[in-house]
Amino acid sequence: MCGLFKTPAYAYITARVRARKRKLIPKETYPKLLNMQLPEIIRFIEESEYKKDVDELSAKFKSIDLLEHALSRSLGASYRKLMDISRGEVNYLITEYMRRWDVWNIKTILRGKYYGALEEEILNCVVSAGELHYPELELMAKKENIEEVISSLEHTPYYPILTKYEGGMLNKIEDELDRLSYTRLLDAVGTSPGEKLFLKFIQTEIDVKNLKILFRLKKAGVERDVVQNTLITGGLELKESDLTRLSGLSFSELVHSLDSYSYWRAISDVVSDQMTTLMDVDTKLDAHLMNYASQISHYYPLSILPVLDYILSKKIEVDNLRVIARGKELKLADEIIRSHLVM
Amino acid sequence: MVEVEAAGLIAIGAGIAVGLTGLGAGIGEQSIGAAAIGAMAEDPKFFGKGLLMTVIPESIVIFGLVVALILLFVF
Repeated sequence: MCGLFKTPAYAYITARVRARKRKLIPKETYPKLLNMQLPEIIRFIEESEYKKDVDELSAKFKSIDLLEHALSRSLGASYRKLMDISRGEVNYLITEYMRRWDVWNIKTILRGKYYGALEEEILNCVVSAGELHYPELELMAKKENIEEVISSLEHTPYYPILTKYEGGMLNKIEDELDRLSYTRLLDAVGTSPGEKLFLKFIQTEIDVKNLKILFRLKKAGVERDVVQNTLITGGLELKESDLTRLSGLSFSELVHSLDSYSYWRAISDVVSDQMTTLMDVDTKLDAHLMNYASQISHYYPLSILPVLDYILSKKIEVDNLRVIARGKELKLADEIIRSHLVM
Repeated sequence: MVEVEAAGLIAIGAGIAVGLTGLGAGIGEQSIGAAAIGAMAEDPKFFGKGLLMTVIPESIVIFGLVVALILLFVF
């Protein structure tokens, strides 16, 4: 009976996200964008769904900076819209999923304060997509130091972690904030068939995040204890025992021990002992995640899954446009730019 | 006395036929209507299609009405 009343809420939001997903740039367009010069790419984006954001920011920024800010703003606005147009259970799940942007913003402001960045510089990097609205972020960016920023977050779930900060490097509380967003999300997911798949997706996302961390830190030769403290537990295939084992291996051993996991299929053609860049691994893992979200979004059409698919597709579109624009600005070869696109 | 009872049962049957089909159509329409409104909010061009999709479950009420009319006027 309860499901009878939940269904219209999901029908409404899923119809909206499917209509929104239709407006995203199709992957067939990316090769065309690669053949364009930077001014043409900017014009293409100005005439697309980003028109409103580009117009509003055009007085403040120019060229590639305008593009960057318009993309970030559009991403934040799209995600905020999802929270505004949903209600009940679906709104709760979206809010919890978007908590990662709160964490991103808090980390950005704290880092900005740590390195003495200007208020404007900090605000240029925040994406107002979580529970913390832009005016709140603005107030936080105005604070004099890290301690004041932390005390302004007193009524948020992040405060207990932030109070542990005792000066110095921020990486310890940053890792804990990341863990908190995932822990809350895992706790928020219910038991309906759609939500079970959503849970599986979140766990896969944790695995992908852990793999990226493992590749980075092992390539840099970071010690086992540091690696282990950075990893997030709760993954699907990479359980706590796997993480402990993998964090003790060298880079070469790590590469050879990953073939027993399903993710190996996605990364096997770019991973080797002698690999110099990790960008390809990141791209392949992101593509794997995107394809997985797209695939499961059709299993339970009236669930959180189509919303998740849209959230991910929008983020990837913004990242791809950024890669193309920045790549063109730096005059990189088309092949290099193409290899960094998630499609 | 017997005739009166049969007429009453026929009337109840006709009422159930229309009532239950109306309820079924309502349950069906709630999700379709919500989805149609959602699609229209993103793109007003969906108005025609959305409206058409929303009224499709209404056909079941017509079946109910036909059954009710048969009950009332044929038996």
